[in-house]
Amino acid sequence: MAKVLIVDDEPHLRLLYETELRGAGYQTMTASNAEQGLEYVETMHPDLVILDIRMAGMDGIEALQRILDMDNTIPVILNTAYSSYRENYLTWSADAYITKSSDTTELISKVKELLDAKMIES
Amino acid sequence: MHGDTPARRSPPAGPALDALARRGLEASGLPQLVIAVSGEVVLASDGACALLQRSRSQLEAARLDELVTTTDALTGWIERAIDRDAPESDLGSGAAISQLDLRVGDRVVAAEVQCESFSDDEDRRFLNLILRGADDLEARDAMRTARLAKLNLLNQVSEALYGAQLSLPQVLESVLIAMTAGQGLRFNRAFLLLVDERTRSLRGEIAIGPSSREEADRIWTDLSEQPTDLYEMMTSYDHSLRQTDVAVNDIVRELDVPLADENHVLIRAMHARRVRHFTERDAAPGLAEVQRWLGVQRFAVAPLATRRGAIGVLIADNAISGLEITDFDLEFMQLFANHSANAIESSRLTEELARKVLDLRKAQQKQKEDQQTLLRMERLSVMGETSAIVAHELRNPLVAIGGFARALRRNLAEDDPNRQYADIITDETARLERIIHDLLDFIRPQKMMRKTVAPDAIVQEAVRKMRPTLESHGVTLELDLQAEGAEVHAHPGEIQQVLQNLIFNAIQAQPGGGRVQVTSRVLEGGVMIQVADEGPGIPGDVAEKMFSPFFTTKSAGSGLGLTICAQIIKAHGGVLRGENLSEGGACFSFILPRPKDDAEPVE
Repeated sequence: MAKVLIVDDEPHLRLLYETELRGAGYQTMTASNAEQGLEYVETMHPDLVILDIRMAGMDGIEALQRILDMDNTIPVILNTAYSSYRENYLTWSADAYITKSSDTTELISKVKELLDAKMIES
Repeated sequence: MHGDTPARRSPPAGPALDALARRGLEASGLPQLVIAVSGEVVLASDGACALLQRSRSQLEAARLDELVTTTDALTGWIERAIDRDAPESDLGSGAAISQLDLRVGDRVVAAEVQCESFSDDEDRRFLNLILRGADDLEARDAMRTARLAKLNLLNQVSEALYGAQLSLPQVLESVLIAMTAGQGLRFNRAFLLLVDERTRSLRGEIAIGPSSREEADRIWTDLSEQPTDLYEMMTSYDHSLRQTDVAVNDIVRELDVPLADENHVLIRAMHARRVRHFTERDAAPGLAEVQRWLGVQRFAVAPLATRRGAIGVLIADNAISGLEITDFDLEFMQLFANHSANAIESSRLTEELARKVLDLRKAQQKQKEDQQTLLRMERLSVMGETSAIVAHELRNPLVAIGGFARALRRNLAEDDPNRQYADIITDETARLERIIHDLLDFIRPQKMMRKTVAPDAIVQEAVRKMRPTLESHGVTLELDLQAEGAEVHAHPGEIQQVLQNLIFNAIQAQPGGGRVQVTSRVLEGGVMIQVADEGPGIPGDVAEKMFSPFFTTKSAGSGLGLTICAQIIKAHGGVLRGENLSEGGACFSFILPRPKDDAEPVE
């Protein structure tokens, strides 16, 4: 079962995404900040990372670069309340950019799409 | 002075004098007598009445030899002059000057007389005797009386010119009316020439005067029925009179002398200190030409001088009556020209001042508008930043609320009554998220991906999407698309969004149903698209704020619709305008620019 790491400093959102992803048949783990998220990437090798951008401490953009430095095969979805980050070219190396919405359909389908593609590659 | 004298004898069939000459002479301050062939006095001027101390009726009943002791020279001259067969040239067009004695009461007074002969329409010949040089006190008094009358007139003229806040054309016209009116200086025709700084020439501006004797008679008759007050006369100078001035105005328009032509008679006259009288005996550069223009040999030119320099000349003649221009006339013409020059200058300065004040006011208005725009932009930018922060802060909790409401709903059985509540939470959070989405769209600097598109197609597509809404609100749509074949450089999706928003507003402005008209027109720089409704229009207090974020007149809505529309149109290089139609309703319009060469492909 594919493992999805959720990095978000909002506990309710972490719970929402965990609930939805589990419901969709994925295994989940969560980190409440970027530093913890990077540690989990290194130690627990998730198959996909859902990364918030605006967080206390290290932000999602820096975390994205670090993840790709570690393992550039891991698909990363930037999931943020800020649609303006789309203008920042540093976000362009992410596999997807989704604006946070209470309707998680787009997020779940993007996760599925990226994981399916990864399966075929490997 | 005498007014109308009912007892005045009208000469029998033979001696008659046309109205023109009569009017010209009667009010003259100069002592003048007009003698018919028979030797009868047919007309006596006010001046003559005063000098000879007799009433006009007494004078006009007399024969010349009852009034004066004639000399041989004068008698001979009179005989030649009244001889019908003698050609006019024999007499010389100039005047004969002779000495004679006047019988004034019991006394005999030495005087000088100037004689001129003239003929009327029916070729009846008359002799005009101008008595002058009388050193008798009575005669001097008569001159004083006449002078006083003219000074009084001059006073009236200057009051009329300065007192009434006249525009420059009105001043010019008044000057000429005063020059020619019976109550004025009594010249037959007057021409005004002003310096045109642009062309550096002295140019004819305006003229007044009849072009023929018949016309002159009619005008003088008309004028004699009018009030004698010059000011009223100037203000009541009506259009029918003006029409007769066509001929003289044709003349005046031909008058154009370069200022560089320093020796030209008119340029010299302009720089002269005093009025000049030209006759056939004079010779000067350009004089013959001016005489040809005017069609007369004798005319007077007065300089129009102000403290700032010469501004033009006033030309006057007696082309119709043929009366001699006297020193007396010239003296008053000079005085009058001085007044006129100052009146013209003051009117010009006033107009210049008015123009400057207007310019200043416009500049102030512009500055005020710029300030308002700046304030609006500043407010927008502050609002934008603030709302971005607020919107983002709201988005996370909304996602959680809405997300779990969805989860809750999924977990509830179909018939669970709580499912409906979960639906409401889901819908409401979705609505809030849409507002935030609108808001962030507006704040986010749009990287426009535009392409060359047909504007009518965009309109058609927007209309197609709005049709169900139009129908459900009982609003009929009128499409008047006339931009077929035209192309614009635009982002079709965004323009559609603008149109849908405008159509939606138009629907909401007509809650009881109505009509929406969407038109497209090809203009010079692009295509104009308009959405008009038949609603109540844009209230005055709304017009200023309607493009501001969060401003709304609706009970539901983010207040961002028009703001976003305006931003989109602005990003397209246009302006979204909202205005009220004179026939009622509001009209929103914008222009999409024509494609340029650097059009980017749409994503």
